Amino acid sequence: MATLDVEGKSYEVDEEGYLMDWQEWTEGVAGAMAKEDGLDLSAEHWNVIKFLRSYFEKYQIAPMIKILTKELAKEYGKEKGNTKYLYELYPAGPAKQACRYAGLPKPTGCV
Amino acid sequence: MSTTTNGRSYKAQKVIDRMGQKLTRQMVGSLAACVHCGQCTDSCHYVLSNPGDPTFAPAYKADRIRKLFKKHYDWTGKVFPKWVKAGTVQTDEDLEELKDIVFGKCTNCRRCTINCPMGVDLATFNRMARGLLCHVGIMPEGVEYVAKEQWEIGNQMGVLKEDYIETIEWQEEELQDEMEDPNARIPVDKVNSEIVYVINPREIKHDPRSVLDAAKIFYMAGADYTMPSEGWDMTNFGLFNGDDELGGAVAGRVYDKVEELNGKKLVISECGHGYRSTRCEGPNWAKKDIAFDSESSVITMLKYIKEGKIKVDKTKNPGSYTFHDSCNNARSCGLTEEPRELLSLVVDDFREMYPNRAENYCCTGGGGAMSMAEYRPSRLKSAKVKADQLSATGTKTVVTSCHNCVDGLTDLIGHYKLGMDVTQLVNLVANALVVDEKIEENRKIHSAETSATAAQ
Repeated sequence: MATLDVEGKSYEVDEEGYLMDWQEWTEGVAGAMAKEDGLDLSAEHWNVIKFLRSYFEKYQIAPMIKILTKELAKEYGKEKGNTKYLYELYPAGPAKQACRYAGLPKPTGCV
Repeated sequence: MSTTTNGRSYKAQKVIDRMGQKLTRQMVGSLAACVHCGQCTDSCHYVLSNPGDPTFAPAYKADRIRKLFKKHYDWTGKVFPKWVKAGTVQTDEDLEELKDIVFGKCTNCRRCTINCPMGVDLATFNRMARGLLCHVGIMPEGVEYVAKEQWEIGNQMGVLKEDYIETIEWQEEELQDEMEDPNARIPVDKVNSEIVYVINPREIKHDPRSVLDAAKIFYMAGADYTMPSEGWDMTNFGLFNGDDELGGAVAGRVYDKVEELNGKKLVISECGHGYRSTRCEGPNWAKKDIAFDSESSVITMLKYIKEGKIKVDKTKNPGSYTFHDSCNNARSCGLTEEPRELLSLVVDDFREMYPNRAENYCCTGGGGAMSMAEYRPSRLKSAKVKADQLSATGTKTVVTSCHNCVDGLTDLIGHYKLGMDVTQLVNLVANALVVDEKIEENRKIHSAETSATAAQ
């Protein structure tokens, strides 16, 4: 099993770098994952990550992109609640990249 | 482990028994014909990326399935078992080992098939072997999960009907904004339409930009089309897990809905395995005669440009592009020239990769490999030859007509740090759209018609 080391603690991750136990997640984990991708997390990145976590805590499933954008639009305005904006923030796709930083499991199917 | 009276595990016995029911002439021909000439070896991207490991050779992998056929179903294995290397499976561990070969060491891409002088179609009996294992519950977890979603909810990503409809409504709003036309529609369940447009659930769940792009193209062309509220998933995990029943159930839902809506033509969005499953294999799996025509959206878009229904401007897509043929589109369905013709119409700098068309290498994520996390390290290692092929083009963007290839290529591009983008034809065509007076006129007629229909 692969591991991710953050601040002296070791976290189990799967073959694709997704956290094995979403409850172990800390902000440091997200930061370390982003750093590996050469990304500095801005406040805007954190808004997405925080929403993904709160949604997952409630429903144990990652939200569809429709729900994610609507929620962001409601909280932060329309220019931040659209697909283009999300892909600018997370070039590898919100489903994969943002979910991984948020400690959620990998989405299923051909993605 | 409990065993049958001959000491074999129940699952292993079931796999052997069921093989007898699944063998077709095509498979028997392929299982009997191999002369071990080795021509397939250099055709496989697993071999090319892992030189020195003979267990990746197509003939070696095929022999793990072939030995069962020889032992249990072929006279040669009964008369000279040692000469023809007849063998069996005894335990559940044997089946697990077979699983790692048929799911983990082959993407069913069929490149070895077209390079075999004897016409041995490994992918076909590899798929059969996958089906035998799935039948006794032995398969990668991801494959099991996705197949379950397709059985139970009707699409491979478990998207509920209301979420699908709401996502389309959301894209319809975006269409109205972008086209500055409050009457612009993405019709759902419109009866008697010329076109019923079906998509990959990935477009709804994760990336609806391609739904919007397709809607823009249909809108500008003044197309009479609809998206169905059910049977809208044209992907099919039956192709990947070897379960013809699932294949028939999924494809059947699509066909039934087109018939219910009295659609004239089924148009399939850019997805290699979906195109093959829905257009080529599905009628056999579903045991159904299809009265309507079907085509890839690539052909639909090309026709719109050729017939002057939409106008495109190449300069809107600057940069350099190469084209990756999906295995299922190119090798299994012969869809090789139309995508190139279309790409040449919407970009200026198009450079072929070599090899190409039916000889192209797999994106390395085919055959459902993207949902088998356990084999990812080996998959990426085996993508070396693909990475070299991509970087040799010297282009910035790779274009493909397959959602799965988008993900497979994106993954390997990240791993090998190639710095390339991946996109699809629908995105490039939508981006190149031009509004001129004539098209403006079509557009107005069309929106008047749509509002009239909506008012009825």
